[in-house]
Amino acid sequence: MTCDELRPEYEAFALGSAGEPERSDIAEHLGRDCPACTEGVAAALSTVAAMASFAKPANPPRALRRRVIAMIDPSAARSRFAVWLPWAVALTLAIAMASIIVPARRESAVGSRLAEAFTILNDPAAKDVAFGEPAKPARGRIFLSPRRGIVLIAANLPSIPSGRTFQMWVIPQSGAPIPAGTFRAGAQGSVVYVRSGPVPPAAAAVAVTIEPAGGSPQPTTTPFIVSRL
Amino acid sequence: MILPALLLALELTGHNDEDLARRLQNREPRAMAELYDRFGRLAYSVTLAIVRDPAATEDLVQETFLRAWSRIRAFDAARGALGAWIIAIARNRAIDYLRSMQKRIEANSLGFDPADHPRLFNDTERNLLNAEHARLLQSALAGLSENQRRVIELAYYEGLSQTEMAEKLGQPLGTIKTWTRTALQQLRAALTAGATA
Repeated sequence: MTCDELRPEYEAFALGSAGEPERSDIAEHLGRDCPACTEGVAAALSTVAAMASFAKPANPPRALRRRVIAMIDPSAARSRFAVWLPWAVALTLAIAMASIIVPARRESAVGSRLAEAFTILNDPAAKDVAFGEPAKPARGRIFLSPRRGIVLIAANLPSIPSGRTFQMWVIPQSGAPIPAGTFRAGAQGSVVYVRSGPVPPAAAAVAVTIEPAGGSPQPTTTPFIVSRL
Repeated sequence: MILPALLLALELTGHNDEDLARRLQNREPRAMAELYDRFGRLAYSVTLAIVRDPAATEDLVQETFLRAWSRIRAFDAARGALGAWIIAIARNRAIDYLRSMQKRIEANSLGFDPADHPRLFNDTERNLLNAEHARLLQSALAGLSENQRRVIELAYYEGLSQTEMAEKLGQPLGTIKTWTRTALQQLRAALTAGATA
């Protein structure tokens, strides 16, 4: 659709209520930095943002501030981490090298997992690579810290049947792909997957394939995500 | 139900977005604390108003700040409005969660992730969330027709698509589109007039 045709839909898009195909078309225009649509949607978004003042003020628990800050500054909540440590160890043992999904409601697990994620994101040496292309709906971002691990944030992952799993791979500059854990996505194909620990040296790319449950020693399908570092 | 404006955003005025954004980009831990102190309460209030579950709200707010932290390098410190950006991310996460809980099919609530598009918040007025704008917006809201208010409520707090609203209200889709568009345009006109007055 043209910008003129999409213009009446900017407000609905900003509110999140636009239907198809308008929603996808506007997203596509934004994705290629269309000036008219960017300006129109930005104006509508500013109005929607201002509507936050309609919300009844509510005071978040004090612990939430600590949770947020601790994610990037563990020293700010060292005592809290001491309390968490047994849980983190138990969690890590339980999931071993497997997937780490962040469902919205599992507070302690999510908090711990996000803290791990921030440890990786905060590494000045971490690489930050986005992925996603028009022909492939999966999109997201990969953070790779050579010393601390990998964080995969992805949306629109394909649905997979039971008995199958997503598997992440580190692709070295030479040699075979190295398994980097399996995971499953949430109901909407979204996932935050954290693979803690040193990354094999000379990693050239990170990829994701669909494999039989439990994972494979080598990829058995074509990667649907390949993110060059 | 549209909740009453209580000028929550008073605490958001008089701060320097550019300085804070640059410190976030430089990965200063104290900057994250300041970001939360400025916008955490508002993000929490908006999220809670949508999901109505305090435990889920905490997780979603935490995720909101994670997304902001991870994307801040793409934020234009000189031009961007941090508050509007954070609130857009928070609302997006809340609507996604709500739709997920209700097993509705939309894969992404806004058709895009505001966290990935910080440039959409370039040149947004940084005082957008202040008390004066809240007052202007509340006044404009009172001037909307009942139907316009209803579609704004359904979209903003319940995350309904226009098609879902048409079914819920028993109205043609074109009518719902008109109500939505004109309502938001009236609210925007009130803000614009306030800014130029």
